[in-house]
Amino acid sequence: MRWRHPVFVCLISALALVCAASEDAGVSVRDAWIRETPPGMTMMAGYMVLRNNTSRPQVLVAASSAGFETVMIHRTIVKDGMAGMVHLSQIELAPIANLIFGPGGYHLMLMNPKRTLRAGDPVVINLEFRGGLVLPVAFEVRN
Amino acid sequence: MNKTALKFSIMITSVTLAAMLAGVWLADIDREHDSRAMLLPDKVMTLFPDPKPLTAFALTDDKNRVFDLASLKGEWSFLFFGFTHCPDICPTTLAVLARARDNIAKSVVGAENIQFVFISVDPNRDTASKLRQYVDYFDSSFIGVTGDNAQIGNLAGQLGAAYQVEIAPGMENYPVTHTTAVFLVDPRARYYAVFTPPHDAEAISKRFKVARELEAGNAT
Repeated sequence: MRWRHPVFVCLISALALVCAASEDAGVSVRDAWIRETPPGMTMMAGYMVLRNNTSRPQVLVAASSAGFETVMIHRTIVKDGMAGMVHLSQIELAPIANLIFGPGGYHLMLMNPKRTLRAGDPVVINLEFRGGLVLPVAFEVRN
Repeated sequence: MNKTALKFSIMITSVTLAAMLAGVWLADIDREHDSRAMLLPDKVMTLFPDPKPLTAFALTDDKNRVFDLASLKGEWSFLFFGFTHCPDICPTTLAVLARARDNIAKSVVGAENIQFVFISVDPNRDTASKLRQYVDYFDSSFIGVTGDNAQIGNLAGQLGAAYQVEIAPGMENYPVTHTTAVFLVDPRARYYAVFTPPHDAEAISKRFKVARELEAGNAT
């Protein structure tokens, strides 16, 4: 509900006639959530759908949050039936396209939460893009 | 024979061999348990025509009790290898298994004589109390198990599971890789079937219920 309704987005786009309006929005994020973990666990994962609204590639280079000691961009890789994680120094978002951070794929690795996070808690994570754009995103803890 | 022809010939041989083996396997199933064919072929669950009896192993559960071959007898066991510092695959899989258990519990036969066992491949960090706390979050009936590397390797090897823990001195978050499949062991402690990801609670519980009915039918 927090997010702009697609109808409104379409309406705005239509009114602007061209994509210039969305060009300004740069990168948008929806469905941002963190998986609640069992008590005492120090590793959490954040998921979201990133959208590059511009006509040029955008590069996510880092993420940080006052709620965690460390935030890293990770990807779960399954090879020969075995899952492992790799740390990514950056991810490129193709022009006018979505990039999904979801279970079993890309995720934000959230280490050492400053306080115990329970379902319903909001946490802000700042996404930093090449060129200086910093996007504060409200994530919701869900179970 | 040139290289391409050789490659092609190898390919044909492999395909033929695979087809023959599949034929033998299916024929075998047909002869032994006609109704088992109901579950084949399947992307969710691979059912073994001749379940292999597991052999002795010795692990420790989350209450510091022995968890060994005898612990698998008399129960259907869902086994999953992982570690508690795993933020993505392990909680995702355990949440799916908790839902699968709920589904099974709602069936007529229920979830009695079924256990879900989370086997930590990271005994260095996963103590008994930590494992208890971890599995309890997903389902209070889940059991956390770990042990020394040789014994984890023993059970993993029997199931064809693999894992790697790359402990480096001074490294807080060392990389751990592990098999994502869920293994099903029958009440006779035989390696009965394997569920391959992506895991889905409804698909797993449905397959399991059919498999259990088939086995109950065979037993009578």
